[in-house]
Amino acid sequence: MEYAIETIGLTKIFSDWWGRARVYAVDDLNLQILPNEVFGLLGPNGSGKTTTIKMLLGLLHPTKGHALILGGDGTDPKISKRIGFLPEESYLYRFLNARETLDFYGRLFGLDSKTRQVRIEALLEMVGLKAVASRPVGTYSKGMARRIGLAQALINDPDLLILDEPTTGLDPIGTRQIKDLILKLAERGKTVLLCSHLLADVEDVCHRIAILYGGKVQAQGRVKDLLQQTNKTQIVTDTVSDAAVSRIRQILSDEHAEYEVTAPMEKLETFFIKTVVEAQQQATPTSGAVSTTQIGDFLTAGGRQENILDKLVSTSVSEKTPAEPVQTEAVQPREVVPPTANKDLLSKLTQAGASPQTERVSPTPVETPSEVRQEEVKKGVLDKLTKNDAANPPSAIRHPPSKDGGSGHA
Amino acid sequence: MRRVWAVATNTIRQAMRMKVAAVFIVLLLVLLPVMGFTATGDGTLKGRLQTFVSYGLSLTSLLLSLLTIIVSIYTVTSDIEHRQIYTVVTKPIRRYQIILGKVLGVIVLDVALLVLFAGIVYGVTAWLPKFVNATQEERQAVDNEFYTARASLVPPLADVQKEVEATYRKLSKEDLATIYPNMSQEEVFKQLTNRKRLEKRAAAVGQWLVWEFHNVKVRDPNQSLFVRFKYDVSVTPQDEQVYGRWQVGDPRQFQQGAQGPGQTPVWEQTRKDIVRKFHELEVPASVVAKDGYLAVGFYNPPPLNDTVVLFPLDDGLEVLYKADTFAGNFLRAALLILCRLVFLACLGALAASFLSFPVAILFCIVIFVTGTASGFIVDSFGYMDQNISRIYTYTVQAILQLLPQFDKYNPTKFLVPARLMTWSLLGEVALVMVMIKGLLLLALALLIFSFRELAKVVV
Repeated sequence: MEYAIETIGLTKIFSDWWGRARVYAVDDLNLQILPNEVFGLLGPNGSGKTTTIKMLLGLLHPTKGHALILGGDGTDPKISKRIGFLPEESYLYRFLNARETLDFYGRLFGLDSKTRQVRIEALLEMVGLKAVASRPVGTYSKGMARRIGLAQALINDPDLLILDEPTTGLDPIGTRQIKDLILKLAERGKTVLLCSHLLADVEDVCHRIAILYGGKVQAQGRVKDLLQQTNKTQIVTDTVSDAAVSRIRQILSDEHAEYEVTAPMEKLETFFIKTVVEAQQQATPTSGAVSTTQIGDFLTAGGRQENILDKLVSTSVSEKTPAEPVQTEAVQPREVVPPTANKDLLSKLTQAGASPQTERVSPTPVETPSEVRQEEVKKGVLDKLTKNDAANPPSAIRHPPSKDGGSGHA
Repeated sequence: MRRVWAVATNTIRQAMRMKVAAVFIVLLLVLLPVMGFTATGDGTLKGRLQTFVSYGLSLTSLLLSLLTIIVSIYTVTSDIEHRQIYTVVTKPIRRYQIILGKVLGVIVLDVALLVLFAGIVYGVTAWLPKFVNATQEERQAVDNEFYTARASLVPPLADVQKEVEATYRKLSKEDLATIYPNMSQEEVFKQLTNRKRLEKRAAAVGQWLVWEFHNVKVRDPNQSLFVRFKYDVSVTPQDEQVYGRWQVGDPRQFQQGAQGPGQTPVWEQTRKDIVRKFHELEVPASVVAKDGYLAVGFYNPPPLNDTVVLFPLDDGLEVLYKADTFAGNFLRAALLILCRLVFLACLGALAASFLSFPVAILFCIVIFVTGTASGFIVDSFGYMDQNISRIYTYTVQAILQLLPQFDKYNPTKFLVPARLMTWSLLGEVALVMVMIKGLLLLALALLIFSFRELAKVVV
């Protein structure tokens, strides 16, 4: 089977002018990333993540070894046509405005003007920059630049998306949005290589990860396998009566298990999004990006106005998935739901600031297949970690918020 | 091509919006019209026009050259330094297409600006006489000697090799040592050759000098021919003036066997002129024979002069005739500037492909200045000792050959004396400067840029 990305003994040695003081930025790296996989490349600063990406894309030449991307050379236009790349900072032309920026990159992809126009509007809508689209990019805040950077990476509707620290500089809503987007893209059959040292981000979205240190892979595998604590069990329930709790305590005591009963903390991310949505409800003016929790129609749903685009998108997807028309059809019914759902959601959010509703923004609808279930599992793990932060013992019976449907066993 | 064009338009936007080009544009827009009023030259209308065209076009050429260097380097190095190149090269575009796009953008910008500014210079030049008080004579002179494009015929240098060899053989070793101390054979030959040639262009008192020209193609026989000359003398007369009797026409008709006299008129004049300054004889073009033959004769009249009259080798005498319009000449002059700009754009791309911004700018400015003074540099090497000069011939001169020769093909050198710049000369410049040197630089730039690492070393 062909890997989306494969590196064979990839090595990059940096040396000084005299050829001395050699640094192994990447050392004999062997990575295999499958198609339709969200792969996280983790590691502390200077561990070789970005260098690896630069070699994949031909910005640096490997000292030794090979880097194959979509089965070929990343500098080959046939290959790079199918790649979306967001570098570690949004390196944009300061003198162009957002619309011109996207138009320029669209032209580099050889897209015709009609396609460009449709996609640009959809992307601007999606990243929430439509209102400021005619301002020069040089005047954007870091987070706004990040959003436009993401938009340029998506203009060609890539099969493979390489994101280098996609969430740096983004507000939590933007971060959430990118994570949701990554999951949606994976659902559509795209491959994502996510490079980050923000562990929470990676944990939320990645199927598999590799942890780099000193240019070498220190650990690699499925997130679930790496993080699962086989010696612990977590039970999450709706609010139950005190009597029920004491009965459970009794049972656990009989089992001689260590346990703890608490009400779980709300995640700061959830709380933040709630607060901002409330502010939006009061129409507080902002000069920055408009924070929406919507995922753009462009890449996920093929909303009604995006029919042409959706067809384009599905044809490019079809290179990977065998049944192309079926794919479009199959996607449609599932995806007619999210935009409307999102709209409903947004209005609900703007009406009431009920905290658990924000949880639903994350793609945890029941109908989605395996990855999402995995996501749920990860949530559980994450919550536990959060609790750890709060200096609580890890094993716990938790009383979840009433509307949080998520429950998991770890 | 669509992708190359996308990069090109982006480059133009960059140049305009980053205010690099704007500064130069504003400067020229202000300076050019102002110069129209301030450039007065020697006070005559012709002097005024010559000064304006010379300064205006030189300034345009200089500023556009600098602009080209700066923009072509900036657009590449800035992309690398600010790393926009990461997002560009990772798109389905080849690296050479990026450089081609950048160079194309700079050239398009150059063409637009050149049309604008050359248009302003031409406009001011054409309208200036209407706003200036000038005598009818001055206007006539301007029409004949400025608003025109005159072809120049220079008599070929006499072949004196045999005479020089003969003279050299006659010289004994003692003679050589006394007359030409410490000189190599080569240098003695050079001196002898110059002397012999000058002898051929010297008229003793009571002697004729005749120059013959072939293929004189006059567009309109009702027009005038101009014999432009400069006297030199062995003994300077007190009033620094010498007499001369001039005859211009076809002397073959008076020779035996000719078809008969009077076919073409012969123009004749005796005049007195200041030495070591240029003068022009206006001769009706009808004196040229039908087969394009023309002879110019100079007689050193015995009672009036008492000195030998010489015509300096390089610019002593030439025949000028109207061969094209001023507008045509101006157009070619502008195209000549364009050739220069295209060359510089390629040079800038090369420098930017492997150097950082300040270094690349320095590199290009040095080449630009060297190119502007290439004649001077070549000459200065000519005075070297023979042994060193041999080394020079194979090293420095070879490099100099690769450099552009901006001064040799300076457009004002043609427009100020209203000299015809032929299409073939322009074609030659375009071929050498753009097609050979420019493309060579560009190819090198593409090669370097295609294989270098664009990302910085970050560990």
